[in-house]
Amino acid sequence: MKKEKRPPRTGTSAKPRARATRPVRDDTSAAANTVATPKADGQRARRPRRAAHAKVKEPQVPPPPAEELAPHFALDEEDEPLLEEAPELGLGSRMVPPHVGWSDPLDSMPPTSNAQGDVAEQIRMLEARLDRLIRTGSVPPDEPPSSEPVPLAKNEREPAGPPADDIAKSHYFEEHWGRKGLRSRSEEVDDFGLDPAYESRFRPIAEFLYRRYFRVRTFGVANLPAHGRCIIVANHSGTLPLDGLMLRTALRLEHTTARDLRWLAEDFLFYLPFAGVFMNRVGAVRACQENAERLLGKESLLAVFPEGVQGIRKLWSERYRLQRFGRGGYIRLALRMQAPIVPCAIVGAEETNPLLYRLESLANLVGLPYIPVTPTFPLLGPLGLMPAPSRWTITFGEPVSLDSAGPEAAEDHVLVGRLSERVRTAIQAMLDSGVRERKSVWFG
Amino acid sequence: MVRHCGRVATLRTRKVSDERTLEHSPTPGSSPLAARAPRRRVVAVTGAASFLGSNLVGLLEEEPQIARILALDTRPPPTAGAKTRVYDADMTHPAAEERLAEAFAAEGVDTVVHLAFLASPTHASGYSHELESVGTMHVLNACRRTRVTKLVMWSQTLLYGAHPTNPNFLSEKHPLRARRTEPFLADKIEAESEALRFGRPGQGRTVTILRTAPIVGPTVDNFFTRYLSHRYVPTVLGFDPLWQFLHEADALAAFRLAVVRDAPGVFNITPDGVLPLGTAIRLAGRQALPLPRPLAGSLVGALWVAQFAEAPPAFFDYLQYVCVADGELARKTMGFRPLYTSREALIDFANAQHLREVKLLSETPA
Repeated sequence: MKKEKRPPRTGTSAKPRARATRPVRDDTSAAANTVATPKADGQRARRPRRAAHAKVKEPQVPPPPAEELAPHFALDEEDEPLLEEAPELGLGSRMVPPHVGWSDPLDSMPPTSNAQGDVAEQIRMLEARLDRLIRTGSVPPDEPPSSEPVPLAKNEREPAGPPADDIAKSHYFEEHWGRKGLRSRSEEVDDFGLDPAYESRFRPIAEFLYRRYFRVRTFGVANLPAHGRCIIVANHSGTLPLDGLMLRTALRLEHTTARDLRWLAEDFLFYLPFAGVFMNRVGAVRACQENAERLLGKESLLAVFPEGVQGIRKLWSERYRLQRFGRGGYIRLALRMQAPIVPCAIVGAEETNPLLYRLESLANLVGLPYIPVTPTFPLLGPLGLMPAPSRWTITFGEPVSLDSAGPEAAEDHVLVGRLSERVRTAIQAMLDSGVRERKSVWFG
Repeated sequence: MVRHCGRVATLRTRKVSDERTLEHSPTPGSSPLAARAPRRRVVAVTGAASFLGSNLVGLLEEEPQIARILALDTRPPPTAGAKTRVYDADMTHPAAEERLAEAFAAEGVDTVVHLAFLASPTHASGYSHELESVGTMHVLNACRRTRVTKLVMWSQTLLYGAHPTNPNFLSEKHPLRARRTEPFLADKIEAESEALRFGRPGQGRTVTILRTAPIVGPTVDNFFTRYLSHRYVPTVLGFDPLWQFLHEADALAAFRLAVVRDAPGVFNITPDGVLPLGTAIRLAGRQALPLPRPLAGSLVGALWVAQFAEAPPAFFDYLQYVCVADGELARKTMGFRPLYTSREALIDFANAQHLREVKLLSETPA
């Protein structure tokens, strides 16, 4: 395309041509713009310079920005002398890194005319405009039409490069740089770090795990309120805790109002690189009273695993035996925030990575609570951490309402202990019956 | 307008100032609390040539409740107007307390806005200690010696420290757990505890401490804005903590509110919304350069020693763990409403930065 379009390279013919095309480009009509593709721009921008090179004594030619030259010259051996010039022309003045797949505005800047007055005038106009912008802090409404008011949408659709003025506009960078750099992430996360765009990319994986891999059966979703605050208290299991993610997926797929569930994750997760950020972006929140209160204050649905690390570090022999339920912090939370508690039993997750042994002294060095030894883990390397496809059952029990006790009961340690024990027994009973009723670990 | 610059000038014009004070205070004999309601305030701003200081002086110039402003710094603020008296005061000077007390008494200052803090970490840790910790002591002692009844002080949410065990929103009650080994943070924590001691209840003093989230904006220059101005911004591999970015206009509005209204206590001044650091870097149009923490620590340590880095490696905590504060109290008690969300503030900063870059390009036309 480049070669076809190239007109005969004579130094004299280039000058008038470049001049003639300028006013046309200023016109924003589509016809003019389709002709002026960036490549054509580049050629036109270059031609006068080549002319300058041929006729060495033509001092008016403004040296172009180096970036503008480099890509074209790299292809063209005939232009070697100019290539040598390039570094002197201010390499490194490019404002934006080149790898983000958007057309660099400098690459396709309006062709620099070889008439000195024209360029100087343009620069003066631009400077005046910038000064005005800086002084007033906004674009004055009565902008003279001469300053190329090319709408931004047009720039995106058409390959014609934006004029220098547009680069100075703030929203130009928002459009071109911000959006494209953030393709996989949303620009805003919620207060606790959930990134909707990021999460939606992992949603198919979570749904695959939920429907095909663990073939989760969910019972008693109706026990969860359609709206308003609520605490789901569940058993914690599986060396790699996937239960929070599965609960979230279950709620989204099975609940009538597809409620958004946040779950509280152990502290150690947030010490870990990658894992902490990943879990945070898909919905996990660090387990602490402040976070839980804030989430419940926003009337959200919150899942807690009161066993904490004690739950996921259970050995195979202790499977489905609930550990201590912390210090009953979740009960105090429910009392203070007047939120109902829904007990939940997750059966099947214990078999995903049966824990045979815990390496603890070694783990302390790495900052992990323990290093698991499962039938597959150190043997098969990282692949061994792949969860086994056991069939899961998630059962939500009857809500435990704590309305009878007021928020002040949160300070009553005896009551908190008793309520915590009651919830624990309820979940243990659900777990026991779930384990008893299932015929096979793999087929349910 | 009388403008003082230099110690000699200050002493010479003291008598004049005294007369003026009498003119302005209708009931000089009554108790300071009762007198303050009708009287227009005389506000002293320390660190008046800093970004916050100079802009606050400009804002207070337009405030009808403020009778007079004392700008205390080693340089005069460019925003000083008709109400402002500029005093040359160096907080690191051993006799600073004497000088400040003199100035406060001479002008009848009732409110002190203490902004003489470094906005960015410095290699001169001795100087920063003198300025921040000892300087605060000087200011507070000068307040004690005169009739100053109100103190507004600048602090930062950085002082909470970035820890993986932080709740997502730190309230004002949370202890300040920033690294004490880092003088930039330790001196500010000391200064804050001194100010809280100054404002202990029962002494009739109002102490307002504003802990601002990292301030960005089109004109402010601090180590956050410099950090986000690199083409490649170093981050820690595998971590992407949430950050808040307070717009400079919001920060100034908070200080103005704190001066105009009496709201004793410590307040987090935060914007709405949080941004993951990686998103912030991309919104600013930069490229994140993730480094493994051990490598990053030693690399930035070396760069810091060679004076090429903005901050010592201790600040990597903030690139790893969350340090986000809850601004609810300031909204409720002070009536502070931020105009910009974190994202908007960052974009405003980035736009200005890009404009600046474009301007540079046009200044040196190709």
